[in-house]
Amino acid sequence: MLSKRPKASTIIAYLAIPLLLYIFAVFIPLVTSLFYSFFEWKGGPNKTFIGVTNYKTLLNDDVFWLSFGHNIYLVLICLIGQVGLAFIFVMIINTRFVRLKGVHRTFGFFPSTVSAVSIGFIWTMIYDSRRGMLNWALTQMGMEDKTQVWLNNSELVMTLVSIPLIWQYIGYYMIILLSATSAIDKEILESAELDGASSFQKAIHVVLPMIKNTVAVCIVLCVSGNMKAFDNIYVMTSGGPHNASMVMAMYGYQISFAQQNMGYGSAISVGIFVLGIAVVGGMQLIQRWISRDEVG
Amino acid sequence: MKKSSKLFSILLSALMVGSVLAGCGSDAKVSSVVDESSSKASEVSASKESKAESKEEETKTDGLAYKGEISMMHFSTSEESEGNGGSDGFRTSIQKWKDANPDVTLNETVLANDDYKQKIATLASAGDLPDVFLLQGMNTKAWAAQGTILDMTSIIKESPYYADYNQAYFTPFTDGDKLYGLPALTGGTCTVVVYDKVAWKAAGFDKFPETWEDVKKADEYFKANGYEDTLSFGNGGKWQANSNFLSVIGDRFTGPEWFQSIIDKKGAKFTDADFVSSLKFTQDIFASGIFNDNFNVVTNEDAREYFISGEAAAFIGGNWDVSYISATLKESNEEAFNNMGFAVLPQPEGATKSTNSQNIGLGYAVSLNAKLADDTDKLAAATDLAEYVTGPDFSTYVAENYALAGLTKIDDVDLSKFDQITQDFYKYSYVDTTACEIYDSYVNAAVWDVLNTEMQGMLNGETTPEATAEKTQAAYEQNY
Amino acid sequence: MIEKGYGLTRGKKIRNGITSVVLNLIMLIFSLSCIFPLVWMFYSSLKIKREFNADVMSLPSNPTFSNYQKILTNTDYHIGESIMNSVRTTVISVLLIVAFGFIIGYFLARVKFKGSKIIWIMLLMGMLIPIHSLLVPIYVVFNQTKLSNQWFTLMIPYVAFGMPIAVFLVQGFVKEVPTALEEAASIDGCSFSGTLFRVILPICRPVLITVAILQTFSCWNEFSFALVLIKETRLQTVPLAMTQFTGQFSSDYPKIMAAMLITMAPIVVLYFAFSKHIIKGMVAGAVKG
Repeated sequence: MLSKRPKASTIIAYLAIPLLLYIFAVFIPLVTSLFYSFFEWKGGPNKTFIGVTNYKTLLNDDVFWLSFGHNIYLVLICLIGQVGLAFIFVMIINTRFVRLKGVHRTFGFFPSTVSAVSIGFIWTMIYDSRRGMLNWALTQMGMEDKTQVWLNNSELVMTLVSIPLIWQYIGYYMIILLSATSAIDKEILESAELDGASSFQKAIHVVLPMIKNTVAVCIVLCVSGNMKAFDNIYVMTSGGPHNASMVMAMYGYQISFAQQNMGYGSAISVGIFVLGIAVVGGMQLIQRWISRDEVG
Repeated sequence: MKKSSKLFSILLSALMVGSVLAGCGSDAKVSSVVDESSSKASEVSASKESKAESKEEETKTDGLAYKGEISMMHFSTSEESEGNGGSDGFRTSIQKWKDANPDVTLNETVLANDDYKQKIATLASAGDLPDVFLLQGMNTKAWAAQGTILDMTSIIKESPYYADYNQAYFTPFTDGDKLYGLPALTGGTCTVVVYDKVAWKAAGFDKFPETWEDVKKADEYFKANGYEDTLSFGNGGKWQANSNFLSVIGDRFTGPEWFQSIIDKKGAKFTDADFVSSLKFTQDIFASGIFNDNFNVVTNEDAREYFISGEAAAFIGGNWDVSYISATLKESNEEAFNNMGFAVLPQPEGATKSTNSQNIGLGYAVSLNAKLADDTDKLAAATDLAEYVTGPDFSTYVAENYALAGLTKIDDVDLSKFDQITQDFYKYSYVDTTACEIYDSYVNAAVWDVLNTEMQGMLNGETTPEATAEKTQAAYEQNY
Repeated sequence: MIEKGYGLTRGKKIRNGITSVVLNLIMLIFSLSCIFPLVWMFYSSLKIKREFNADVMSLPSNPTFSNYQKILTNTDYHIGESIMNSVRTTVISVLLIVAFGFIIGYFLARVKFKGSKIIWIMLLMGMLIPIHSLLVPIYVVFNQTKLSNQWFTLMIPYVAFGMPIAVFLVQGFVKEVPTALEEAASIDGCSFSGTLFRVILPICRPVLITVAILQTFSCWNEFSFALVLIKETRLQTVPLAMTQFTGQFSSDYPKIMAAMLITMAPIVVLYFAFSKHIIKGMVAGAVKG
C-alpha cells in the first residue's frame, strides 16, 4: 500500500465510470434475475409470485445437485490440469534446456482462441467409436477389448469432457503465468541454479512465492470458470447420456430455454452464483491458511 | 383410404375451431380435402370452385396501405435452403413479397435453428416478439396463454386461400377454438425407414419386414455378411428417439385417441399401460443389438452416413435425412440411389393399433405479434406477408421443384417428371400411409425435454420405462 | 550455456542431456497438439462434405477452395460488414478493458480506501455469473434502457464482463512490484496521476499486453450477448454471421470450418505476425527489485 493516499475526489474520479458501467451490465441483470426467481414465470408477460417455492424445489432437485457435484469435479481436475500443468510448462519453458521457447509460447495459447464449437467437434471426433482416433490407437496397440462408445459411458464421461477443457486452457494460464514470471529478476533464478537448487525446489521455493498473487488470480479464474462451465460440454454431450455430464449452467440453460421455465431457471442462476461464491470463498480461506502456514 | 379416415378425424376436430363455414357448404369442402390424396379429380374441381368464390383475393391485389418497417425472424438461412425444399421455397417467397411491396421495409433476422429457438424464447419472455415470426407447435398454448401471439382465427378464416388450406396442419397451432398461425414450410414425415432393397432381398426379404422379429432374423444375416448394423439411428441430440421413433411406436400401441386426450387434458396419462408398453418396446428393441451400438451418442447426421457408406442396411430418420441421403447417393452412387426403398416402422409385438402409421405435419407456423392488433395497416401488411409465404405460390414452388406439400393444396402435382425415388417418397409421405401426430409438435417444451432426457437414460438401461413414464407424467401435470 | 556446463561431471552431463530431450519432447508434443486444430480445420476446409464425412482425419485427396468461394461470394452473410463491426467492437472494448483494469487494479493493490473490499468482492461476483442462464434479464435490462441494438451495445457487456479478470491480473502484478518506485516519484514531486501513467503504466506493460491478448480473443469470439442484443444485420458481429452457416438439419462441416477460418483469419494472422513483439513485450518488461 502507498504511504501517501490520493484525495478522495481523485479516487472517485478514476473509479466512478468503470464501476457504474460494471454495475449496470452485471449487477442489474443479476438483481433482476433474483427478482424473477420468486415467480412462476413460463416466459411472457404473466408472472405469478410464489415466494421461495422455486428455491425449495431447487434444494430437492436431484439433477441440480448432481450437476453441482460434476462442477466440483471439474474444478478439482482443472485446477490440477489447467493451472498445475500450466505452471509446470512455464517452468519448463523457463529452463535453459528448452529450445523454441517462442514457438511454445505462441502455439500453446492457440487452442483457447478457437471457438468451443470447433474444439468440441474435434474431440467428439477423437472419441467417436467408429472413426475416432482413440479407438483406432487402441486397436493398433492390440487393445481392441478396451475400445468402446466413449461418450456413452456414464462413469467416464465427466473425465472425457474435462480433458479437452484442460487442454484448451493450459495455454491461457501459461500466458498469464509467463507474464508474471517476467517480473522476476533473472539474477534470482540464475543464482538459485548456481546454488544447486534442483529445478523442482527452485519452482516451489523461489518462483512460486514470487508469483503467488498471480497464481491466486489463476486459481480464482479457474474455479469461477469451471463453476459456470458450459460451452465445450454443451457441444460434446449436451449433458448426456441422461444427466451423466450435466453441469449447473447447462441445467439452468435447459430449464430456462429448452423447458421455458424462466422463473425456476432464474432461481438456478442465483443458485449457481451463490454456490460459486461459497466455493471461491472456501478456496480463499484455504489459500490464506496455506500461505500463513508458509510464512510461519 | 386409411389416410382419409385419419385425416377426417383430425379435420373434424379442426372444424370445431370455427363455425364460419356454415352448414353443408363446409361439409362439401371437408370431403374434398379428405379425398385429395386419393382422388385428384375431385380436388381439382373443389379448389377451383373455392377460388372462384373467394372475393378477398381481388382486394388483396390493391396493394398495401402500410408504408414502413416490419420485423421478421425465421431460420431459413441460405445454408439451410440448399437442398431443403421448404427453406428454399420460404426464402424465395419472402423475396418475391419484398419485390412486390417496395414500400414496406422488411427487417429480417435470419438465424440457424438452434440460435433461433434461443432468441425467440428470450424475446417471447421479454414480451418483445418480432412482428412476424415462426411459432413452434409445442409453444402454441403456452404463448397464447401469455397473450404474446395474435389470435389469427378470423384472419385465417378470411384468407383468400382458406378453402385450399390443408386443415389437418392447423391442429398444433390451435388452442381451444382459436388459431395462432399459418403452418409454414413443408409437411414431411418425421419417421421413415430408408433401406437398401437389394441388400434386404439378399437377406430374404422382398420388401422391408412388417414385424421386428423378421428384422432380428435379417440382423443375423447382415451381421454374418459384413454389415456393421442392420439399422442405424442417431439419438445424440436426445430429441430423435422421441420425434423419429417413439412418436410412431406410441401411436401403434395407444392409437391416436390417447394422444388427443393428452393434448386436450382429457385424462390420458403418460403412465397409461399402453404408453409404458411403447416405452418398454423402445427400450428392448434398442437393446436388442440391431442398431448401431453408438446410437445414443451420434447424431442423425452421423447415423445416416453409416447407411450412405453401406455399413448399415437401413436407417431410420425424418424427411430431412431422406433428402440428404438421396442427394448424396444420387451424386456418388447411382446404383445405391436406385435401390433405396421407404417403409414404415414394423409393427411391435403386442401393439394393436394402426400398422402403417407414420408421423407427419408442419412443425412451425407463421405467427404475428399480438401488438400488431393496434395498428390496422401494419397488421394488414403482416397478414398479407404471412398469407403469401404459406399460400399457393409457395406450395406450387415446392411441389414443382421438390415434390413436397405445403399448407395450401395445389391442383395438380405432376410427379412424372421426378425420378422414381422422389415419387416413391411422395407416395410414402402423402398417399400410402396413415398419418399420425408428431408428439413434440404439441403439449409443451418442458414435458418433452424431460421425456427426451429420461429416455436417453432408459435406452442405456439406466432407468426403467416406468420411471421414465412417471417423470414425464409429473412434468406434464406440473407444466401443462 | 557452455560455461554453466563446464565443470560438471560426466554423469551430470548425461543426466542434463536426458532431461533436455525429455523436456523438449514434452513441450513439442504439447505445442503440436495445440496447433493441430488449426491445421486440421484448414485441410478439412479444402474437402467437400462427402469426402469429409467418409473420413474426417485424412488429408484431402482433391483440395478445393470451393467452400471459401461459396462463402465469400454469398452476400447474405455480409462478411465484410460483420468483420468491420467486430473490429470496431473488439478494439474499443479491449482498450477500455485495459484502461479500466489498469486503473481499478492499481487502486485495489496500492490505495487504501473505504469500499475497496466491496469493489473487490463485486468484481469477484461478476466472474461467477453464468451468462447463459442470465440472457433474459440482460435482454430485458438493455431493452428497457433502449441500449440494445446500437453500434455500441455490445461494448457495454464486453467491457463489464472483461473487467474482473483484467483487474485481478493487474492487481496481482502490481502487488509484486516494490512500492519504492512510486515513493521515489512522489518525493520527486510527481503528482498521483503523473506517477500512475508515467511510472506504473510502463512497468505494467507485460500484464496489460496479456490482458489485451486474452480479451481480444474473447471479445472477437463472443456469441451469446451478440445473439440476444443485436437485431439488425448491419450491426452483427462475426460470430453472429457465422450462425448463418449452419442449417437445421444439414451440417456441412468443411464449409463451417472454412467459415470459421475466414472469420478467425484477421485476428489469428495478427497474433502470429506480431507474436514475437507481443511475447517480447510480455516477457521483457521485467522490473528490477
